Amino acid sequence: MRYGGRSLAQGIAVGKACLYKPYDAKPEKKMLEPGECDKALLRYKTAQETALGELKCIYNNLSNEDEAAIFLAHIDILCDDVINEEIKDCICCEGYIEEWAVYSTYENYIQTLGKVKDTLICERAADLKDVQNRLLRCLAGIPENNLSMLQKPTVIVAHDLMPSDTAMLDRSMVKGIVIEIGGVTSHSAIIARSYGIPLLCVQNATQLVANDDTLIIDAFEGVLLLNADKATVESYIKKCDMWLAKKKEIERYITVKSICTDGTRIDVELNIGSATSEELKDSEYTDGIGLFRTEFLYMGRRQLPSEDEQFEIYKRVLSQFSGRHVTLRTLDIGGDKILESIQLPQEQNPFMGKRALRLCFDNLEIFKTQIRAALRASIYGNLWIMFPMVSSMDDFRRAKGIVTEVKEELALSAIPFDKNIKLGIMIEIPAIAMLADQVSKEVDFASIGTNDLLQYALAVDRMNPDVSTYYQIYHPALFRLIGFVAEQFRKEDKPLCVCGESAGDPLSAVVFIGLGIRKLSMGCSLISGIKKLICGMSLEKSERLAKSIQDMSTATEVENLLREALNEYI
Amino acid sequence: MYEKTTTIKNHSGLHARPASQFIACAKGFKSKVTISRINGKEGVNAKSIIMLLSIGLGKGESVNISADGDDEVQAVDTLVKLIESGFGET
Repeated sequence: MRYGGRSLAQGIAVGKACLYKPYDAKPEKKMLEPGECDKALLRYKTAQETALGELKCIYNNLSNEDEAAIFLAHIDILCDDVINEEIKDCICCEGYIEEWAVYSTYENYIQTLGKVKDTLICERAADLKDVQNRLLRCLAGIPENNLSMLQKPTVIVAHDLMPSDTAMLDRSMVKGIVIEIGGVTSHSAIIARSYGIPLLCVQNATQLVANDDTLIIDAFEGVLLLNADKATVESYIKKCDMWLAKKKEIERYITVKSICTDGTRIDVELNIGSATSEELKDSEYTDGIGLFRTEFLYMGRRQLPSEDEQFEIYKRVLSQFSGRHVTLRTLDIGGDKILESIQLPQEQNPFMGKRALRLCFDNLEIFKTQIRAALRASIYGNLWIMFPMVSSMDDFRRAKGIVTEVKEELALSAIPFDKNIKLGIMIEIPAIAMLADQVSKEVDFASIGTNDLLQYALAVDRMNPDVSTYYQIYHPALFRLIGFVAEQFRKEDKPLCVCGESAGDPLSAVVFIGLGIRKLSMGCSLISGIKKLICGMSLEKSERLAKSIQDMSTATEVENLLREALNEYI
Repeated sequence: MYEKTTTIKNHSGLHARPASQFIACAKGFKSKVTISRINGKEGVNAKSIIMLLSIGLGKGESVNISADGDDEVQAVDTLVKLIESGFGET
């Protein structure tokens, strides 16, 4: 079978399907047949042992302490004497089937904990639910679908993947991902692209596909093939190898210096999230970190990272970049990024709501903790601090004021920090882009976030698949806006970077360079492609292309022109 | 029977990681160990994470720990010390 889909991360993958669906079943309330009690007890005990084996296996494979602690708690719950006795009573004395005994006994405690006002306890109800589901699944004899422990080359099929799911992905085995919802800039798509995993969005995928089906993803053409014949599979394995070989060929460019044929130097910088070794593996070949998305340190965990924990991570990254700048973007949550540790308001329009800097202004303790950690780490390298979601200079001045406050507090306690830290902003709201002449006089640097700038400029919700065709990354208006900003920053001779998704897209990157941008920042997997482009390109050519776009009126015209002009460079 | 009273110091109280640590410690003793709020109802099994979570002990609450058995004194003293250490949280 052949299904159409939207490509969110290019590439080709062949593998066995793994449906990722949280197990969710409610057993029937049924009585045991007479004399079945011992068998029921044995089945419960066996399921419990299977579940324990699974949990121990997950626990032993996790290196992240916070994730490991969660599974340790699950083991405690599973082996809890009190709940065990109650389940056995429910089977032996009350005579219910083991599924119902497990379900109802756990449900009792889930209800109890769920009613407690303390959010920390409420969260434990979710852990009980998790163990309850695990036990019921083991009783049903259904094997576990865990994304962190895959045995063979796999294509994940899921409704959507949450950041915490992707954190657990076994990247050596996941060859491709199919999801049902999400746009080009959804979290799953960004992660997939940064790790070079093909990602396709196919409607109702979880209903079309069964576990262990052979799947082919062609995310260049936007096609999903289900259980194709042998010849087709073989031809795609060849295509996939060719794609990987081309990728490898491009990867050779990772070590080259990013200098245009006429000698113009373009800084190629790195975007990172959790500062994992994988993200940082090629850091020595980059000109710094253009974007450190610190919110990833806050995601998928129950408690906020402490000042010391943040300090250690910032210190490690700063030391590793030995003098090259590290641009730390302060906590940017809200919109598509949620935290377990902070209750975010339910909003009609979260992308325009209380997110990022706005949220930090209302949670000063969280904000100041991060600034303190960053300032303390600043003595280990060249730290730049950048504020997201700035819509007016009032925002920047207020944030700067808070940094000054923290500096004073540190000075009073005689804690050292770098006094010359650069402070800058993300340019992602059209209003602040239009003010670039004013902004460039006051900030030390700025970075253009193209994903949000485009979303706000075109009035397109980038998470809504129904309007995704309106999210046009080659819209000529975007290039006009960026051109204006670049001109203003050039007049003031202040650093200006483009760090959005478009910076890693060769077609857009050429135009940015032509418009005067000299710094591009992107995920690790895109760096070699952009370096290859820069090395083969003259500044004059990119300026000419940027100029011809000024006279175009649609994204299609722009894209066609760029594709034709750049065919040989990408 | 042997018992002692103490106050919970760590900011997250006896849930999450501290609860796991607490029951792991309690399980190390043979005696029957219970924990309760001061002036609260009857104590609950201190070796059960579910019971510990159900009574939800937060920071600043006073609790009573009691044990009955061969190693009751050692059990109570060790658990009180663990609570007073703040579980390594600040």
